[in-house]
Amino acid sequence: MEISTVANPAIDLSDLPDVEGVTFLPVSRKYRTMRLALWGTVQLLLLAAVLTPYLLYRFGGEEDLAAFSQWWLPVLAQAVLAILWGLEEWKGFQRRGYAVRDRDITYRTGWLFRSTTTVPFGMIQHSELSQGPVSRMMGLNHLKIFTAGGSGNLRIAGLTEEDAQSLRSVIEARTRR
Amino acid sequence: MTPDLAVPRRQHPLGVIILATKFSWHVAKAGWPALLGLSFGNLKWYHLLVVPAAFVVVGGFALVYYLRFRFYVDADALIVERGIFQRERLQVPFERIQAVQLFQGPIQQLFGLTGLRVDTAGSSGNEVELVAVKLAEAEGLQQFLRSRMDGPKEEGGAQDMEGMSAPAAALPEADALVSLGWMDLLKVGFSQNHIRSAFIGLAVVLSLFQGVEEQVSSWIAGLPGLVLAMAGLAATALFLPGLVLLMFIGVATSVVSVVLKYWKLNSTLGDDGLALQMGLLRRNVFEVPFQKIHLTEWKSNWIRRALGYETLRIQQAQAEGGRGGVRIFIPAMQARHRLAMEERLYPDIGKKEVVFDVVPARRLRWILFALAASPALLVLSPQALIHPLLGLMWMVFVLWTTGKRYRSLRMKVYRDAVVLEKGWFWQTRTVIKLSQLQGIEWKRHALLERRRIGHLVFHTAAGAERFGYLDKSNALAIRNFALNQVHVAYGNRTD
Repeated sequence: MEISTVANPAIDLSDLPDVEGVTFLPVSRKYRTMRLALWGTVQLLLLAAVLTPYLLYRFGGEEDLAAFSQWWLPVLAQAVLAILWGLEEWKGFQRRGYAVRDRDITYRTGWLFRSTTTVPFGMIQHSELSQGPVSRMMGLNHLKIFTAGGSGNLRIAGLTEEDAQSLRSVIEARTRR
Repeated sequence: MTPDLAVPRRQHPLGVIILATKFSWHVAKAGWPALLGLSFGNLKWYHLLVVPAAFVVVGGFALVYYLRFRFYVDADALIVERGIFQRERLQVPFERIQAVQLFQGPIQQLFGLTGLRVDTAGSSGNEVELVAVKLAEAEGLQQFLRSRMDGPKEEGGAQDMEGMSAPAAALPEADALVSLGWMDLLKVGFSQNHIRSAFIGLAVVLSLFQGVEEQVSSWIAGLPGLVLAMAGLAATALFLPGLVLLMFIGVATSVVSVVLKYWKLNSTLGDDGLALQMGLLRRNVFEVPFQKIHLTEWKSNWIRRALGYETLRIQQAQAEGGRGGVRIFIPAMQARHRLAMEERLYPDIGKKEVVFDVVPARRLRWILFALAASPALLVLSPQALIHPLLGLMWMVFVLWTTGKRYRSLRMKVYRDAVVLEKGWFWQTRTVIKLSQLQGIEWKRHALLERRRIGHLVFHTAAGAERFGYLDKSNALAIRNFALNQVHVAYGNRTD
């Protein structure tokens, strides 16, 4: 019986290229400003919503709203959440970044909820640059990377115009069709 | 075959009857409560003329629809023109085609015709269905579409089949896989999830009564209060029989749906694909090329394990946003079937060369325990002796089950696949092909990060699979290995 053989070299597991060792490039600082502005706006709106019943009771003479005289309780709860969210934005921005290797792209986000996603260039179906009205004003771009099935899609938000274009051209070049 | 296909054509003339039946079915489903409502009114003989008139109208619609329905292929797309009042021209590019499936409903079986269904990936989600085509013609079209959609780098899943009559013939080296006889069908039926079936059965029954509610509620409003109170009492007394009835509905629905779906299931395993046919009222024929399978999942509950069965779910690429995606279930897979299949699909699993074999961090055991035990805290208030006792019993039970649950979690990484084993009572074994991994994610929250624990998420074209609470050094090594294997596979494919 003729036996065919294939090359089957052993893999040295300690010698595999490591994602952690790569330097991550940050996104634009303007994007932090944008996110903090969003944070501030939402907090102001929430504060208004939380305090309205108390103000109506205290100054508007609405006796039905007496239950809201403990105004500091909801404000305290909101403050805790606001601090957590603010920390996530502030500390999370330092961790937010992308790294491009020869064969894949990695995106890292979050401080409370950390995530590092790697997508091989070979699996990218297409990419897309998008801008909302605010990000257009600030000159920011969001790069969306699509993979089959949509589960592995990446959205790298807050890139400057040049960074977005160069990253996109890198992806286009590496994504062999 | 190719020049033929380029000419716009209609379906088989008998398609009119099939279309008419299909339309009548829709009309009957939508219209019968209205008919019922009318029948309570003052009925004259000529009111009954509505029924034949409806038949004539529906038949006319079917005829026009048939006459205006044309399909053909051009250089790079399948084109279908259809519509009665509003004409539409559907263009399905070949590379968009996910699956071509042949099917035979009862009428098609009667006339020896076949239906052909083309599923597409993408946002349009607009599938094309031919209802009446001659067997040879359908096979020709399906062969042609398969040859065009089957690029080596094609990401979409594809399932297609060879001959309707002899699917195994196209795979000369095919081995028999699962085939079901009467007894097997019953066993599969009884090992289904009856609770889910009960709700499906109830939903079907209730949907039949849709639209009758108004009549019923107005009828109830007319009843005197005493009668209503009596009825309420009776309903409470009927609770237990109702439960029994629900269970009966559940089991009956399970068995009936299994018989309808898996009737005369026959599957064969070839060198590069899997062929299967099944179904009673609607007979489906699939051929699934191995390279279009993105994920396989073996599931079992304790009844199935007692019978030595597992259910296999084969998952192909899904559309953006997790909708759709062709999934095929094969019940009654025995251990030898699974081995045979895995040997072909993931050769390295068969070789038993495990690269990583890891279990979650021990901390997960206590997290599972805390989550499951927390309801006991609610009854721990020492008002009566029974409460703390019950709470304690729950704690012991939960300690036992969480131990079992924790020990059931295991991830094995082979050169070409990742195997995730989860579950103790309901066991799941998910296998992901590494060469088709779309992305890999390492995620954790700040508290877990301090303990150097986190979750690995495997993003596939058929959805994301998570394996939680892994030790960081293991997880990162697995991530690097998985990425390396993807790159190697991709490099081999294009170079």
